[in-house]
Amino acid sequence: MKSKNIFLKAASVIVCLALVFFSCSKSGDKPSNPAPPTGTPDAALTNLGTNIILPAYQQLATTTAALDAAVTAFNAGPTTGTLTDVQTAFKTAYISWEATSEFEFGPATDLFLTTHFINSFPTDTITIRNNVNGAAYAIDGLGNYAAQGFPAMDYLLFANGNVTTLARFTTDANAAGARQYLAALSASVKTKAAAVSNAWSATGGNYLKTFIGATGVDAGSSLSLLVNAFVQDFDVNLQNYKIGIPIGLYGPSVLPKSPTKVEGYYSGFSDQLLIRQVQTIQNIYLGGLDDKVAATSALNNGQPLNDVIKAELTTLLTKIQALPDPLSTGIINNSPAISDAYTEIRKTTVLLKVDLSSALGIKISFQDDDGD
Amino acid sequence: MTAIKYLTRYRNIAPLAVFRMAFGAVLFFSSCRFIAKGWINDFYIRPKFHFPFFGFEWLTPMPPAIMYLMYIIMSIAALFICLGLFYRIATILFFLIFCYAELLDKTYYLNHYYLVTIISFLLIWVPANRYCSLDVLRKPAWLTTQVPSWTILIFKYQLLIIYCCAGLSKLTNEWLVRAMPLKIWLPAKANIPVLGPFLKYEWTAYLFSWASALFDLTIPFILLNTSSRRFGYFLVIIFHLLTAILFQIGMFPWLMMSATLIYFSEGFHLNLIRQIRKIFGKGDPAPGEHYLPVNKRFQDTGLFLMGFYFLIQVMVPFRYLWYPGNLLWTEQGYRFSWRVMLMEKSGTCFFYVRDGGNGRKFQVNNAEFLTPYQERMVETQPDMILQYAHVLKQHYQTRGFSDPQVTVESYVSLNGTGSQLYIDSSVNLADEKESWFAAKKWILPYKNGGAK
Repeated sequence: MKSKNIFLKAASVIVCLALVFFSCSKSGDKPSNPAPPTGTPDAALTNLGTNIILPAYQQLATTTAALDAAVTAFNAGPTTGTLTDVQTAFKTAYISWEATSEFEFGPATDLFLTTHFINSFPTDTITIRNNVNGAAYAIDGLGNYAAQGFPAMDYLLFANGNVTTLARFTTDANAAGARQYLAALSASVKTKAAAVSNAWSATGGNYLKTFIGATGVDAGSSLSLLVNAFVQDFDVNLQNYKIGIPIGLYGPSVLPKSPTKVEGYYSGFSDQLLIRQVQTIQNIYLGGLDDKVAATSALNNGQPLNDVIKAELTTLLTKIQALPDPLSTGIINNSPAISDAYTEIRKTTVLLKVDLSSALGIKISFQDDDGD
Repeated sequence: MTAIKYLTRYRNIAPLAVFRMAFGAVLFFSSCRFIAKGWINDFYIRPKFHFPFFGFEWLTPMPPAIMYLMYIIMSIAALFICLGLFYRIATILFFLIFCYAELLDKTYYLNHYYLVTIISFLLIWVPANRYCSLDVLRKPAWLTTQVPSWTILIFKYQLLIIYCCAGLSKLTNEWLVRAMPLKIWLPAKANIPVLGPFLKYEWTAYLFSWASALFDLTIPFILLNTSSRRFGYFLVIIFHLLTAILFQIGMFPWLMMSATLIYFSEGFHLNLIRQIRKIFGKGDPAPGEHYLPVNKRFQDTGLFLMGFYFLIQVMVPFRYLWYPGNLLWTEQGYRFSWRVMLMEKSGTCFFYVRDGGNGRKFQVNNAEFLTPYQERMVETQPDMILQYAHVLKQHYQTRGFSDPQVTVESYVSLNGTGSQLYIDSSVNLADEKESWFAAKKWILPYKNGGAK
């Protein structure tokens, strides 16, 4: 009878166990608080975090700091020369943003270094002009999201050619306002980039360690966060906003085509931005996801999935590199290269969102729920 | 009739009382957890559209304040079930509110929510509050120690059906021969402590697949048998704890571990109650037997209806046989069948709307209409694809489209066999009708793609 008693007691704690589970689950399994490092490390996460994500943020911090410095120099002495310097620094910084937009989770979300604030296009030119003309504004205010970030600078620095642009910052009645707004824009991006870079770095917030430690594929695991974030960046930002909307795929009530809605419309270097984004997606995939996929028996059309994805990303990059320059003009001229590229974008979306996620057992749009 | 005699003979109430307390406690924690995680907002307030079950399209979510109030009432009802206070009202309230929330949107359908629905329904009909409860403290005359055995047996039979159906649904090529989807899910957990190193091997997926099928098929019988019961419950704990560690399946393991307590003997449960009383500083319950008064005619009618209920319970999981094609692919007859964690399925879909008047065709931005969670569920479930197509039709009709036509280009991958076209993209879904049991002819057949 003694063993029975012990067993009885064991059973009587089931209710208590439920209680403990409940109290743990409330605080413990939120996606925003990944579990502390346990178990064996994941080589893919280590490589992605150390060699791809952290350097990308460091690069963004450096280039946005350089941009801010160029803006300061320009504001102190606005000339054609300093304007060109700012424009060059702007392009470099914008391109380095494209290598980080894929990582919208953890520090990037917490510190608002997100597409919503940094890269909302088409930019809100009316609000920008109002702000320049002396309206009260908070640069990072919620209502100001579409009048800030790279697209706002794209407008201020490139919209009307260099002569008019220079005049806007020198002889225009609101030149001081324009200089002030440009400075506020570049300072805001610089501050956010520095903060996120610091949050990832081992000497700062060391999110890198958290990232490497949160293994597995559940909601809140690094792999789930990463794949969800970059698939979203590709599916929504690239496919829909950068190409789909400008070529008139959506919306029954707007004009069929909206070439002015491309990314980097005023500076006209949309293609370079797209190329950098696709290269980054490729780097992420080849940074360790490839090994994970290769280790599965996943297929696509009877071929090993890893081979299919690698080939598709290469094809896509070629097609993106072949896009007409500037993209907006190509859209007006119905360039066949754009529909070619869009076909590959669509194929890639399916491969990433369906095949890749399902081969690795990662749920896209994973809502933490009660499970099955 | 011996069957009637078997079902109506008196048995000690203790198993039922413990079941009530354990299950009520889990329901209470589960409801509070639901509120605390902000899911009322995420699931019922934020979405613009919902996916009610067929036949319940007239249900809509209440205003936010009422939704919260209902969940609070439901949590309190669960606590009252656990305590056995105002039990009948509490069970009815819990069942109605829970059912309402489940019927509102099939996006959130889970096997374990279905389990909660039917167990809370069954709890309405049994006198589980007549022992070891606040109701008895309130009305000592209600004290009952002996109840007709059917009040306990229905839970044992219900659980037996659940485990057996879950087991039978695993006897497939996918599960046993390909070891899918565990072959995908287990290696993904290869970095967890202790178990992790074993999970990357293929044989582990096979072991887990076969063992879990065997477990599901045999555990109810191991639990029913007196001599193997304790070993059986040990297996229950191991199995469900393992699933809790390996998968994100929330409350399910805890529900099953509390529910299967019902299989234990009355001696075990009486002991358990003594232990619980000790915690509260109380001695043994007063001796003496109190029989539940029974209206024989009511009981016989009730038993007949119960028989009908169980007949349906046994039949519903097998309705899939009615439909052509691969069940996992078409999901026709998938829900309400105890098919748990059977597939790794994901998809993506591009919806197109064409104005029948001017012929203009454009792609729909799904994010404008659906939450990411709803979108994910739509992507792999044909009945939800159809419902969404109707949402789009209605939306664009009100925006002045004449005869909006909705088509979908949809890709789905099942158990790692690669994305393939899921729905016939030439079919105008706006004109397709949902029905109770008719097969959906616009689901394209599943091609295995040469996967081994």
